[in-house]
Amino acid sequence: MSDHQATTTTTQLELDFGKRFRLAAHEWVPAILFFLGILLVWQVLDLILSIPVYILPSPAEIMGVIQTRALHLLQQLGWTMLEAVLGFLLGSGLAFTTAVVFVHLRSVERAAYPWAIVLNTIPIVAIAPLLTIWMGFGLTPKMTIAAIICFFPMLVNSTRGLRSVSPQALELMRVLSASKRDIFFRLRLPSSLPYVFSGLKVASTLSVIGAIVAEFTGADRGIGYLVMAASYRIDTRLMFAGIAYSSAAGILFFNLISGLEKLLLHWPGARLED
Amino acid sequence: MKGQTLANTRDDIRIQLKGVGKAFQAESTVEALRDITLDVRDGEFLVLVGPSGCGKSTLLRLIAGLLEPTTGEISVGGKSPKQAQRDVEFGFVFQDPVLFPWLRVIDNVRMPSRILGQRSPLKGKDPDQYARQLLSDVGLTGFEDTFPEQLSGGMKQRVALARGLVYQPSILLMDEPFGALDEFTRDRLNVQLLDIWEKIGATVVFVTHSIQEAVFLADRIVVLGPRPGHIVTRATVPYGRPREFDIRFDGPFVEMVAELRHLLTDGGEG
Repeated sequence: MSDHQATTTTTQLELDFGKRFRLAAHEWVPAILFFLGILLVWQVLDLILSIPVYILPSPAEIMGVIQTRALHLLQQLGWTMLEAVLGFLLGSGLAFTTAVVFVHLRSVERAAYPWAIVLNTIPIVAIAPLLTIWMGFGLTPKMTIAAIICFFPMLVNSTRGLRSVSPQALELMRVLSASKRDIFFRLRLPSSLPYVFSGLKVASTLSVIGAIVAEFTGADRGIGYLVMAASYRIDTRLMFAGIAYSSAAGILFFNLISGLEKLLLHWPGARLED
Repeated sequence: MKGQTLANTRDDIRIQLKGVGKAFQAESTVEALRDITLDVRDGEFLVLVGPSGCGKSTLLRLIAGLLEPTTGEISVGGKSPKQAQRDVEFGFVFQDPVLFPWLRVIDNVRMPSRILGQRSPLKGKDPDQYARQLLSDVGLTGFEDTFPEQLSGGMKQRVALARGLVYQPSILLMDEPFGALDEFTRDRLNVQLLDIWEKIGATVVFVTHSIQEAVFLADRIVVLGPRPGHIVTRATVPYGRPREFDIRFDGPFVEMVAELRHLLTDGGEG
């Protein structure tokens, strides 16, 4: 390593916005072209084989429903996202708190961690009807399912992050007789952030899935309800439209967390996956 | 001038180890250190040198109060190491720079002052100004707002040195601080370290496995042998201060390095 390395890294950071945009576009172009290609093949096959709409609607037909039923779809999506985001906040918050306790009290970790794994092995589809019985048809059971599905990846990542502190860094804090509070806020918390965000990103998409699954087992609104109701009427166009809206929302949520990550983890070498 | 002119009276002793031993409980008991008796004088630059596994780093951690000795006693100016630690007597520089990547260079150096607050031994000086001065002493003016990830290994270690000194600890403990650096960077940092040390006049206990480095830096050298770590010999370096880099090519210097090298190969690892 040599001293001039410092200057090259700084210039890389100072890339102007236009160049960055072009780089990003360059990265996304293949994925977008691939997707458009798939849609094209789908559309053409649909025309040639004349598949009935109730089995497989063409992309153009789905696009039509996406536009004409936009308001209705957005309303349902709003409910689903409310459940997902609340569940995400609840599950991630609880998981992080649990991780903090784990890191400070080994015995609690030994007692509880195996059961966290057990909880994670239970398919949420199996718990969802139980929660409906206990909590009714409202928002609570959906939020709870979303929270449960977020909990485990967040717990694992937060625990790893809070433990990612080097033993020497802890010795340094001891040499300074730093308080537990200082060690947590000045060392453990910032060290954990890259891992925490990697957990939050996983949890963000999972929370939407969790909310939709919960809606399948008993709901009168939301995208999950909409898709299920449409399936009873064999309205495949609406089903596809619902799926499209929910994945768009999932991607948006994921990117929101990603953006927050880029904002908070601004220092070089901070982000785990890049 | 320093070290050489100091009289060896009891009042001058800053750190005292009497029959210190340390054993670690793993699957079986591992004896890391046996019967270490050692005095470090006030303002002295003492170097502990020895092969890997001779317990040098353990010895440093015992002095800092980061580990408890199994046998024997350690006194830091009449206090226990733990008490000296609470009184913020120690600065510690590790082999890894251990910089916080989310803090800019200047904030890494300021970090100890932020944690210590009123407990900081630095009196009569503005801590922020002193942090900047130390950065300039280690030759990093202009890098205050850089993040550690953007620095070379040698630069990171210089930041770590400035951070270790920023609250003016009376004792500086250094655990192979330049061990991971290339020879040229290490040589440059050795000279820089001596310059700074002569300005601040702290007591230094420095651990290394480089005999060259030991002879160049030290007033006194304590040679440790492995399994379990024990004192093989002690030597006083026949050079005063300030030291020029070129003493490394001097007859007595080369002789001393050779002599210590022989001692370590014969009495040390087989």
